[in-house]
Amino acid sequence: MQEIQYFGEHLWPKNIGHFLIILGFVSAIFSSFTYFKATNNVEESKAWKTLGRIGFLAHTVSVLGIITILFYIMVNHYYEYAYVSQHVNDFLPMKYIASAFWEGQEGSFLLWMFWHVVLGCIIMFNGKKWEAPVLSILALVEVVLISMILGIQFEIGETLVKIGSNPLLLFRDTMDIPLFQNADYVSLLSGSGLNPLLQNYWMTIHPPTLFLGFASTVVPFCFAIAGFWLKEPQAWIKPTLKWTLFSGGILGIGILMGGAWAYEALSFGGYWAWDPVENMSLVPWLIMVAAVHSLLITNSTGRGVKSSFILLCLSFVMILYSTFLTRSGVLGETSVHAFTEMGLENQLLLLIIVFTAIPLFVYLKNRKIITKQPDDKINSREFWMFIGAIILLFSSILITASTSLPIYNKIAELFDPDFVGLVINEPIQHYNKNQIWIAVFIVLLSSLAQFLRYNGRITDSFKKKLKKHAVISIIGTLVLTFVVNMWLQIESVPYFVLMVAGVFGIVSNIDYFMGFNKFQWKNSASFCSHLGFSIMLVGILASGVNKRHISNNEFVFRDIMEDESLNKKVTLLKEKPIFMNGYWVQWTGDTLVNNERTYDISFTKVDSNNLILEEFHINPVSVYSNDKTEIVAFNPSTKHYLHKDIFTHIAGLPAQLMKMEFSKEMEDTLNYAPQMITTESPFISDTLDIEIIGIDYNPVHKDYEPKENDLAVGFDLKVTDKLNPDEVFNIKPVVVLRGAVVYKYYEEINDLNMRIRINESFFERFFTIEQDVEYEEIVMKEGDIIELGDLSLKHLGFNKTPDNKAYRKEDDDIAIGSKLEFISNGKKVELEPVYLIRGSRQSSVKDYDPESGIHAKFTSIDPKTGNLTFQIAKDERDQFEVPLEIANNVPRSDIIVIESIVFPGINLFWLGSIMMLIGMLIGMGIRMRNKKAVA
Amino acid sequence: MKKAYIIGILMIVAGIGYLISATSDVSTYANFSDAKSNSKVKVSGFLIKNKPIVYDPNVDANLTTFFMEDQKGESMKVIYQNSKPQDFEMSESLVVTGKLENDIFYASDILLKCPSKYKDQEVMLRKNE
Repeated sequence: MQEIQYFGEHLWPKNIGHFLIILGFVSAIFSSFTYFKATNNVEESKAWKTLGRIGFLAHTVSVLGIITILFYIMVNHYYEYAYVSQHVNDFLPMKYIASAFWEGQEGSFLLWMFWHVVLGCIIMFNGKKWEAPVLSILALVEVVLISMILGIQFEIGETLVKIGSNPLLLFRDTMDIPLFQNADYVSLLSGSGLNPLLQNYWMTIHPPTLFLGFASTVVPFCFAIAGFWLKEPQAWIKPTLKWTLFSGGILGIGILMGGAWAYEALSFGGYWAWDPVENMSLVPWLIMVAAVHSLLITNSTGRGVKSSFILLCLSFVMILYSTFLTRSGVLGETSVHAFTEMGLENQLLLLIIVFTAIPLFVYLKNRKIITKQPDDKINSREFWMFIGAIILLFSSILITASTSLPIYNKIAELFDPDFVGLVINEPIQHYNKNQIWIAVFIVLLSSLAQFLRYNGRITDSFKKKLKKHAVISIIGTLVLTFVVNMWLQIESVPYFVLMVAGVFGIVSNIDYFMGFNKFQWKNSASFCSHLGFSIMLVGILASGVNKRHISNNEFVFRDIMEDESLNKKVTLLKEKPIFMNGYWVQWTGDTLVNNERTYDISFTKVDSNNLILEEFHINPVSVYSNDKTEIVAFNPSTKHYLHKDIFTHIAGLPAQLMKMEFSKEMEDTLNYAPQMITTESPFISDTLDIEIIGIDYNPVHKDYEPKENDLAVGFDLKVTDKLNPDEVFNIKPVVVLRGAVVYKYYEEINDLNMRIRINESFFERFFTIEQDVEYEEIVMKEGDIIELGDLSLKHLGFNKTPDNKAYRKEDDDIAIGSKLEFISNGKKVELEPVYLIRGSRQSSVKDYDPESGIHAKFTSIDPKTGNLTFQIAKDERDQFEVPLEIANNVPRSDIIVIESIVFPGINLFWLGSIMMLIGMLIGMGIRMRNKKAVA
Repeated sequence: MKKAYIIGILMIVAGIGYLISATSDVSTYANFSDAKSNSKVKVSGFLIKNKPIVYDPNVDANLTTFFMEDQKGESMKVIYQNSKPQDFEMSESLVVTGKLENDIFYASDILLKCPSKYKDQEVMLRKNE
């Protein structure tokens, strides 16, 4: 086949990008190897380390370079690149470019690598003796990660092996279609753009934070291995603890942001749904928290080095497993936000195996460096902290076991093709019922263990103090439990136990901080985290167990429904208030901006004297697809109070509003009946009057977009509902003649279930066809005024560059326009017929005013006498016929279905979870300051 | 070390207890014929697109009715007391949770599997204005 010379392509990003990807891959291998040598070869360590640094910096430059190039081609809309075309389009605002960047798998891998190189560079500068072993492993992780975007294909025998997916591939390299036979195909390309669901600020901030959390787990992992590698059982604990706290804090914030996104911007009606993707980001975090506690034990007592090592490695391996689950496509229909398949399953599996094998090998080889310690005392703090860590690990095992159900199904299918896959019936209940007890244990342990001392050192005076505070805590708990239960009125036993445990956690943590810690800054981290956790639990109970649907119209449905709890949605008619659960709710209107339609809904609470107690507006949104032909998502709107949220989203719209396709289908199937009316004789029936008020030659209609040379006519109609004479509807259906095509724009009267439009035959009736026009010939001179029946005509002058819509100028034309001013029924009308000599032919271009119906032609000029000949005619305009078309029994389209949920105390959840995570970051800060103070 | 063993045994016991309790939480998808004998089941199947799919918020915002065919080809009328899920007509397959009464399946929950309308490789061309 002949090589096609394409034009308009930008090839340098591809060429440089491919080079950088290879460079990044090779330099990561180089860096890993040389840092490895620097660790093992003590004599020449320095030289190897320098090489390692060069390698890692080269890798850093490559990663940053690839990211820059990918951004560059996205910002400049180089659609010849597949990644650009799939994630960007012309209309995507610049602020969402970053979101589009990491919408795809390749971009998110780059984001992950970005954080790895940033963290790696930090360790390079202050890692000291840890730099070489830590970066050796980190660089190895980078080797595998960058291989995900390598994009190499080769054949082994019959099978095609694909390594990675390169984001800098040209479209024509990814598929073979006839379009690419066109040398100028680039100018034809456009992009599909960012999924409208993801076009919000959460998509800008959530992925980078979550990926920083993901990426940061690698650092403690590397440190743990480095510790065993260098055979230093204790020295790695201190630096690792800081990084582990950092990682736990950031990963937690990332996960929490995901919950906040779901709650604030998506219509899930909650912040946590035990979705596999959520679960698999929670699991590494839980293990990270267990690792923090294990490291704290090791730091204070020297015990538990092995468990710290195991937990840190496990946390990172679970990150990889989570990556595998969410990106391999294995989750399929069980998750709402898994990525689609990219053919990287094997590579991801390899990633898990390699980074499970390495710590296993290092552990087995060097486990003897840990000397045996006497058993923990049962009254020591570390014993119970360790139990807590084990319970957290147990929790994550349970979650992982359930979430991995699709994996068992896959494996079972391998052995037994007839195997029918299992599913969890009620995932939310399934997870809740186990995790409740774990939460109870954890909150009790975290509150109680801090009253114990490391190594179980307890003096008599301390015992006395303990007794006193035990009494304070119990009394405090009883009182607060009573108060909280007045508010929440929990009936289920497990929930009640959890509430008591949570309240006890709040009371005892505050008591401990005041009574034992004396408000000392250095102890504030664990206080903040543990108190936050307790508050979070109460918040989860309050908002989860006690959430309440208020969107039910109790007057309508009370007796019909067998199960009242099913009744969650309510229909609103535009501008017709309804009463639900103490609120008058009214949809007052909606506005469309770009591809978002925002609804304004007012909630008003009144007392028995009709005095307004509470009033607020909420603005849920329906989001249209990028091409605006259908609605793809609904964004909720929430009224926030300190003690509760009122969450509302649109749960449904009539089908004809959901999709343009359905709207056309419906309009086509409606039964329109013809009805002729005239200005003199309106339509009158037993139930309805329709009369013409006027005619509008510059009509405005919501569906009509005016174009040049359109002939658009709108009819001001007054429709009176005789059954309800107060109801008068003023509507304006529009009919448009564009070229030879007629467009009909209907008007809808929802209250009468009626649509009215104008039949296309209007144009034939209204405008006389040229051959039927009866012209009258008039001869006049420039400046003359002539009376023609009820018309008065004045010649205003000539125009050598005629301004007449029907006249198209050509070279060598001799064209003269005559400016004529008519006065018809007291109205001034200006027309400009044109006298034209083109070549040897004389002709005239007529002018016409639809409103007055005046036709004017300029047919000849007599240069000797100055006589001008015109042909003038006028259509009948005093009375005209309007062929209406009326459809009855039209389903109304001014309705929305809403769902409103009250979440009491949800702010306790946010407050508690933020405190918990901030506590971890405070802990990191305290430890970093301590180090400086020592140095 | 003894305490560690005790913890280990406790965890294993708890784990087994968990597995036993979890078996009641999982099931395979049922057919309509299984639903006749069971109280609450999950039925997987397909939406019958040429039979009426009715959701009229003018009448009831919490009522959707449609016909569904299970994996064995048996079809059944389904009443879902909720609003019609988005993209319902486009679904490739669906899973309904609920119970069968008098040859009508009352669904309390519907899971849809929709063809991924996004991210399929397709060439987007400029629209000529």
